[in-house]
Amino acid sequence: MTEPLLQVEHLTVTYETRQGPVRAVDDVSFTLQRGEVLGLVGESGCGKSTLGMALLRMVRPPGKITSGRILFQGRDLMQLSEKEMRQLRGRHISMVFQDPMTSLNPLQRIGDHIVETIRVHEPKVSKKEAWDRAAQLIQRLGISPDRLKDYPHQLSGGMRQRIMIGIGLALNADLIIADEPTTSLDVIVEAQFLDLLRELRDEFNLTMILITHNIGVVAELADRVAVMYAGRMAEIGPVQPIFHNTLHPYTRGLLASVPSIRLEDGLELETLSGAPPSLLEPPPGCRFHPRCPQARPVCSEKTPPWKEVHPGHGTACWLYAEEEA
Amino acid sequence: MKTNQKTKKLAEEPTSLLGRLLRGASWYGAEWYWTATGAVILAIIILVTIFAPVLSPYDPIVTVGGPFERPGGGQVVLLAPKDSGITSPEGLKVAVYYNTTASVVAEDYGMTPRPYQVDKDLFEKVRAGEAQAVLISARDAAEALQKNPDFVQVGEPFGPRFWLGTDNLGRDILSRLIWGARAVLAVAILSALFSAAVGIPLGLLSGFFGGWMDRILSLVMDSIYSFPGLILAIAVAAMLGTGVINIAIAISVVYIPTYFRMTRSQVLSIKEELYVEAARALGAKQREILGMYIFPNVVPTLVVVFSLNVADAILTEAGLAFLGLGLQPPTPDWGFDLNKGKAYLPRGYWWPITFPGLMITLVALGFSLLGEGLGEILNPRLTEE
Amino acid sequence: MRSLGRYLLMRTLLTIPMIFVLVTMVFIILRVMPGDPVKASIRPGAPQEYIDEIRHSLGLDKPLYVQYGEYLWDLLHFDLGTTLSPVRGQSVAEQIWQHFPATLELSLAAMLVTAVVGIGLGAYAAHHRRSLADYSLRLYGIVIYSIPVFWLGLMFQLVFGVWLGWLPIAGRISSLSAAPEHITGLYTVDSILTHNWPALKDSVLHLIMPAMTLGLYLSGVFVRLTRSNMLQVLKMDFVTAARARGIPERTVVYRHALKNALIPIITMLGLQFALLLAGAVLTESTFSWPGLGRFLVERITYRDFPSIQGTVVVFALLVASVSLLVDILYAWIDPRIRY
Repeated sequence: MTEPLLQVEHLTVTYETRQGPVRAVDDVSFTLQRGEVLGLVGESGCGKSTLGMALLRMVRPPGKITSGRILFQGRDLMQLSEKEMRQLRGRHISMVFQDPMTSLNPLQRIGDHIVETIRVHEPKVSKKEAWDRAAQLIQRLGISPDRLKDYPHQLSGGMRQRIMIGIGLALNADLIIADEPTTSLDVIVEAQFLDLLRELRDEFNLTMILITHNIGVVAELADRVAVMYAGRMAEIGPVQPIFHNTLHPYTRGLLASVPSIRLEDGLELETLSGAPPSLLEPPPGCRFHPRCPQARPVCSEKTPPWKEVHPGHGTACWLYAEEEA
Repeated sequence: MKTNQKTKKLAEEPTSLLGRLLRGASWYGAEWYWTATGAVILAIIILVTIFAPVLSPYDPIVTVGGPFERPGGGQVVLLAPKDSGITSPEGLKVAVYYNTTASVVAEDYGMTPRPYQVDKDLFEKVRAGEAQAVLISARDAAEALQKNPDFVQVGEPFGPRFWLGTDNLGRDILSRLIWGARAVLAVAILSALFSAAVGIPLGLLSGFFGGWMDRILSLVMDSIYSFPGLILAIAVAAMLGTGVINIAIAISVVYIPTYFRMTRSQVLSIKEELYVEAARALGAKQREILGMYIFPNVVPTLVVVFSLNVADAILTEAGLAFLGLGLQPPTPDWGFDLNKGKAYLPRGYWWPITFPGLMITLVALGFSLLGEGLGEILNPRLTEE
Repeated sequence: MRSLGRYLLMRTLLTIPMIFVLVTMVFIILRVMPGDPVKASIRPGAPQEYIDEIRHSLGLDKPLYVQYGEYLWDLLHFDLGTTLSPVRGQSVAEQIWQHFPATLELSLAAMLVTAVVGIGLGAYAAHHRRSLADYSLRLYGIVIYSIPVFWLGLMFQLVFGVWLGWLPIAGRISSLSAAPEHITGLYTVDSILTHNWPALKDSVLHLIMPAMTLGLYLSGVFVRLTRSNMLQVLKMDFVTAARARGIPERTVVYRHALKNALIPIITMLGLQFALLLAGAVLTESTFSWPGLGRFLVERITYRDFPSIQGTVVVFALLVASVSLLVDILYAWIDPRIRY
């Protein structure tokens, strides 16, 4: 196997609040190969968006990356200066945000968004050239180049989300992080947008982290799936095994809440009861144990270790780890 | 997750203004220090106002020295011919310059002043026998002695000391500042009380009952509010004339809408609160709801408004006085003193215009800091912005 | 766009009651409230016939409702009456028109200072939130507002006029003969239009201190407004998105965010217009700047009742029309940014 594009090791993000520190991302590790699409799923507030921002080193204060390493193309992002980091953003790692309505500057023309981004990273490109590139690009995205002169409010939500993707593509970013890109789109537009993403993935060999709470989107696009719960990684694996040979009870619960996903025969439908815990005072041991139908005494005492059950498919759950006590 | 934390945080905050104040600096940071600074400034000013008769060294409306005596100046020194044998000023006939501190205070020390114009040489007059000694400002003594080696200094410098100098009429600026605080605070607080007394009830009724009265009142109040306050006060003051009450009324007209609008908007939001609805459902009378449920909830905000309003009123009063529409002279009035001092500014007399302005700023700042700080502590969501 | 037209029409119509209320307020203050305008206008000891004659000429001997009707009627015709003193019989409207350009020039220059200082510092404070600079600038906002504007002017005069001798301390121009040919009445503009460079230099030198005084006085409010607006804009998604694209922080804050924060500030500019006028009256008096404010104060000492009434009415009309203008301006920009 070649060197992975992205390697996250024991990443922890802590928010300092008046009530004390909150670990929104707690000791998370995973890798991402070039050309791979990783679906990052979990309930809202599980830390998946924070993780996305952390990869750009853009966690908002009072949040801070308190430990861990982010190796991108072999370079540790934590060691880069703010300037080097800025040059990386947009050019090598690009981000698509949840709400296309608010993530474009209302007073800047669509074209200028793209041109500005190109010229920030490639100062030698003339305005004219950048504009032409932008025109070609959005044509590929199925938008007429005339629309470059429009202001964001003149475009539909779907168009704007395509523009956001386009800004990422404009510089051939190595990694695109899409944070809930379809949540605010209506169903038909969402379907179109997902089709486009799939096409782009194949055409540009995109590497992408798709952050979503919608497991259906993951099923359609992702090669691998990472499931987060209460700031911790619960399960990571290729998409088929995750869906058909689910390990972690939480993943099972998530899948059960999506009726369109066919479950293996003989597996009972389980619904998740209760709400995710407060990260301020997380439950001891496995954080899922208060809601887990298969909880055992050890689950409330010790944090389960990470265990690779099958090659490339691992989980943190006492069901698969040998007890040492 | 984030929403949960926010609710939790807000729930823990004390709701009363006093409770919030007592939580102290660790919770409210800069705002708390501002409030404290404002409170300290005001405490000092209020003490000064109360103890004005004790603190002020001189009568503020009486000429106690020469005009434009510099800060720290005022002391005089007696210079006599070397062989005259004069040892005390008592009973002497002294040569002084006309309209200086020396000419003003000579008699107080038992001398008979013989005043001359400033272009005359006092020492010549003594040599000519017109006077026995020279009485001049201590500041000029060394130079004069050098020029007139046949004279010696008799005793130590004596006489008054004007720590902040004197104005064009030889009045002590420090004393005028101290007494001026009384006048300014009286006008400002009186006018704020007038405004509150009219604005708050109107706002309560207007917000509580609504209807066409509310519409008309709001239109009128909004119109007044949009009008430049000082110009309004000028017009009223020009018609009413000078005097503490008149000026207070002129200023109060400007700020009635501030109280009205604040009260009204508070009433409108509190009216919808559950507990008011509940009281209504339990059959409370309109008057009770207004008096027992709504008004007490408006009070903390009004404390803030009052404090900020007094700051505004002080500035407006100073502005009016500066334009010649203040208290009746010779009442000490900082704004009016600035108006007078302005004329002598080209000659470089900085002290008559510096200190009164500083005082206005300080007092207005005290009320502003107090009001701002209280406002932010009262409504921390504003601080979060 | 249909709704925009409707809005503009409604907004214009709503200005009418506001003007009506303001004008009525002036009437109440000057005619109904205690204090006889003529008694106030005439020096004590004037013969009774003279007082009666003046009362008659001003129509003050008529019942109040008739006076009110005539007052409104005259205003509808822009008839502000004639002066009583120091010279009797001059047209008040003409006098006001002569003094207006000076006030306009001062206000425009002051607004320029305010915009640069207030908006610049406010944006900086928001950018460096909770830093020492932020707290200092918030304190600056409160302190500058607590300084009497005329005293600020006096201090400038003392330092830059008297001690350093850099700038003239009074007036708009060194001598009337040096004034540029009258085109707009704004000396700076007129001297540029007529290529009168000595006059330009002279009038700019005279303008600096008053404009700084009034501009700094207003800047405190704008530091606060800009800061709070910027803080809101900086929280918006598009700012985060711009950062995520690798746009330099400076560009994000001072280009993208500030532009968006400026739009609400335009509206607040309208709200602060009253503050500007009040400040102008004091600044003009401090610097003997021959504008409307100084005219008003001067006529108060002459007790020239028609001039006082006329000037106050003109101020009222100015306030109403600026507030209308700002709302129209905002509505014009608004649909472009609202979705």
